[in-house]
Parts: sequence; structure tokens; C-alpha cells
Amino acid sequence: MTLLQVCQSLYDSAVGTSIRESDLVFDIIESAHVLGISLLAGTVAIVDLRLLGRVLKKDEISDVLTQMLPLTWAGFALMVTSGSLLFWSEASKMYFNPMFRLKLVLLALAGLNPLVFHTTIYRNVAAWDSATPVPARARTAAIISLTLWTAIIVCGRAIAYYH
Amino acid sequence: MHLLLLFQWLATTRLSAAMSDSTWAFAVVEMVHLLGLALLGGTVMVLGLRLLEFRLNRRPAAEVAGDLYPYFLTSLSVLILSGLLLLIDGPLRYYGNAAFWLKMWLLAAATIFSVVLNRAVIHSHRGSSALTTKVAAVTLLLLWLSVGLAGRAIGFL
Amino acid sequence: MKLKLAVFVAAAGLLVTLPAMAHHSFSAEFDGNKPVRLVGKLVKLEWTNPHSYFYIAVADDKGVVSNWGCEGGGPGALSRAGMKKGDLKIGDTIVVDGYLAKDGSHLIDARRVTLPDGRNIYGGSPGDGGPPEGAVTSKK
Repeated sequence: MTLLQVCQSLYDSAVGTSIRESDLVFDIIESAHVLGISLLAGTVAIVDLRLLGRVLKKDEISDVLTQMLPLTWAGFALMVTSGSLLFWSEASKMYFNPMFRLKLVLLALAGLNPLVFHTTIYRNVAAWDSATPVPARARTAAIISLTLWTAIIVCGRAIAYYH
Repeated sequence: MHLLLLFQWLATTRLSAAMSDSTWAFAVVEMVHLLGLALLGGTVMVLGLRLLEFRLNRRPAAEVAGDLYPYFLTSLSVLILSGLLLLIDGPLRYYGNAAFWLKMWLLAAATIFSVVLNRAVIHSHRGSSALTTKVAAVTLLLLWLSVGLAGRAIGFL
Repeated sequence: MKLKLAVFVAAAGLLVTLPAMAHHSFSAEFDGNKPVRLVGKLVKLEWTNPHSYFYIAVADDKGVVSNWGCEGGGPGALSRAGMKKGDLKIGDTIVVDGYLAKDGSHLIDARRVTLPDGRNIYGGSPGDGGPPEGAVTSKK
């Protein structure tokens, strides 16, 4: 089965169709997705701002990260769930949507960035937990993160403008 | 109704024409509005959770609030400015929309509440009772959540 | 400040490329100064979120038929406006008042639909600057 065929069967499925033709359900899912931006991107932004030495400067970086990460994961769960349901209802149309495809690529990169961060410079965070300024590589990761999430939000909104 | 006259006048302005003539301006302003929402939500959530003593308890609440406040104000300004541009694209469309007015009332309430709360937290030399602080934190979160929900409802009415 | 500048330059770069990329498909914007009335036979109905679509075959004075798409609210909005999915059948003749898409495509933002049984379904709200009651405007 090709990817397009998979998307088409998702689109045609009972679940996909009922969401797509719903009076209220689609609106609720979409609202959760839009408001969830705050929980996911908002908490990511706060961590990035700490890495850039802009907020919570007296807090150790590892402390801020460990405290904020559960919130970010909750946001991620919300966004993936709502996003998947939205995708399910429009799958075959999303297949052709260039902004949707770009958004997925950016999401993958946004996932790769913290992975690299955590497995490299973050490993010896104890050495720079309270450093001022924060090491350049950590600051770079923060800037990449802010840029990617900005682009993801922009792409997400742009999906509606590409039929 | 002075308000209707104001909105009708807004619809005649050059800014209104510029927004509605452009093929891309509205979309770009919407995106800026969403970015503001992300940052504002982040600052409000972190402050609320700190006041509920859920997160970042090692630093005084006054310090957490003080750090986040400039970002709260900046993101709020971005939201208000972009919101005004969205409005002026088609003022009469919003004038008749009940969700829009609900959002405006909630926005006013949330803004005033946030400013007062932040002043109290940042400048307090003696803490308020734990209960008062926690009620304030929950109110803060609920107010801004309602603003967001009303905003979504604008599109559905 | 260099860091924030970098972020915003990157974001701005992306934003600015959007209109450039949008040449063919950036059709969600409608021109409030170009009201239009279409009369045609329904060839396809998409009762979908986030927008519904009524595709109609419109014949001009010389009998040349062209296809038009009319974008309406989602099912929730349509139900609240008094319309159900079963109210229309393929082949029904409907009247749609709306605004032309800015990119010149055969797409309108449907503000009012007149069903075969004579009922009017309003997409906007009273006094929102949409087509006035009973307005007869030119068809393109």
C-alpha cells in the first residue's frame, strides 16, 4: 500500500469521517491543538530563555530543565494526540499539503535538537549549571529551538492557506 | 451606539483597506498572534505553577515573577497589537460576534488581574496567606485560558 | 540581543517566503469589495471541517458552463444557521452570495446560500459588512 493509499483509507474511515463532518468535535480538537501551543512551545521557550541567561538566572539549569520537562512532555502528548486526530480526519488532503509536510520535517528537527543537546553538552551540565554566561553550545541549542518552534507554529497556521 | 460608529469608522480607514487588500497580511498577523500566545501562555503557566508551589520552588516567587514579567508584558503587547490589526481587517465582522466581545471583557479582566497580581508578588515583603496566593494562581490560569477559548469561539460563530 | 535577532530573522525569513511560495494555492483570502451572486446546479458537496464546500456548475448568458467552489462554515456553523447535510442533493439549483477570491480563482467565500425550498442560510452575522438582504449583484 502506498503512503497516499494509507492516507486515503484514514480519510475514508469511520473515525476520520465523523471527525471531519462533526458539529463540535473537530472544533474542540482544533482548539485543544491551538491552545496547547502554550503548554508545549511556551514551556520550551522558558527553558530556552534560561539557557540564554534571560530568566531564572539564579536557578541552576539542570533544575529548571528537570522541573519544566514534565510540562513540555504533557504539552507534547496533547499536541500529538490532537494533531493526529486532526490529521486522521484530513489525511489524504494533508498528504498533498506542502506546509503540512514542512511542519513534519521541522518537528523532526525540533526533536533532534534536544536529543543532540542532551547527549552531548548537557552530559556535563554539573560543570556549567550556574555559569554566566552559559556555554555557547547550550545557547546555540536554545536559539535553534526557538527558531524551529517559531517556524513550526508559522507552518501550522499556513496549512489552512494551502489547499 | 457610539461603539458601532467607531467600528464603522474603523472600516473606512486606510489601515483597514491595507489589511483587507493584501493577500498575505492577515495570515502573517495571525501567525504573529499565535507566537505571542505561545510566549504569554508560557509565562502565565510558569508563574501560576510557581504560586501554586508546583514548580521552581527554590527561588522566591517574587524573583520568578520578576523574571517573567517583561516577557509577559512583551507577549501581551504583541497579542494586543496583532489583535488590533486582525480586528481592523474587518471591524464589522467582529462587532456582531458575541465571542469577540466576551474575549474583550475577559482580556481586560485578565490583564488587570495579572498586573495587580504581579505587582503584589514582586513587591511583597511579607507573603500573603498560602490560600490567597493559590486562589490567585488558579484565577490567573483560568482567566487566560478563558481568553484563549473565547478567541477560538470567534472563529466558530 | 544578537541571539533574539537571529531568531526573528529566521522567523521573518520564513514568513516572507510564504507569499512567494503561495503563487498558485494561496486562495483563502477573499475580497470584501467584490460581492458576487452565483446561481448553479450542485455538482459536489463537502460537508467538512474546517470549511464546507459547495461546488456548483454555473451557466452564463451564452450557456457556457463553468465550475465554481463556494467555501462555507463547518458543519457546526451550518447546523446553527439552520442547515442539515441532507437539505441538498446533487443537481439541486442553489443561489450563493459571497465574495470573490483574491487570486482570481473560481472560489467564493459563501455568505448566504438560498436552498431550493427558498430558505436562506446566512454565513455571517447581521451588520457584519456582508451582502445586504436581497442584494442582487453581478455574476462573473
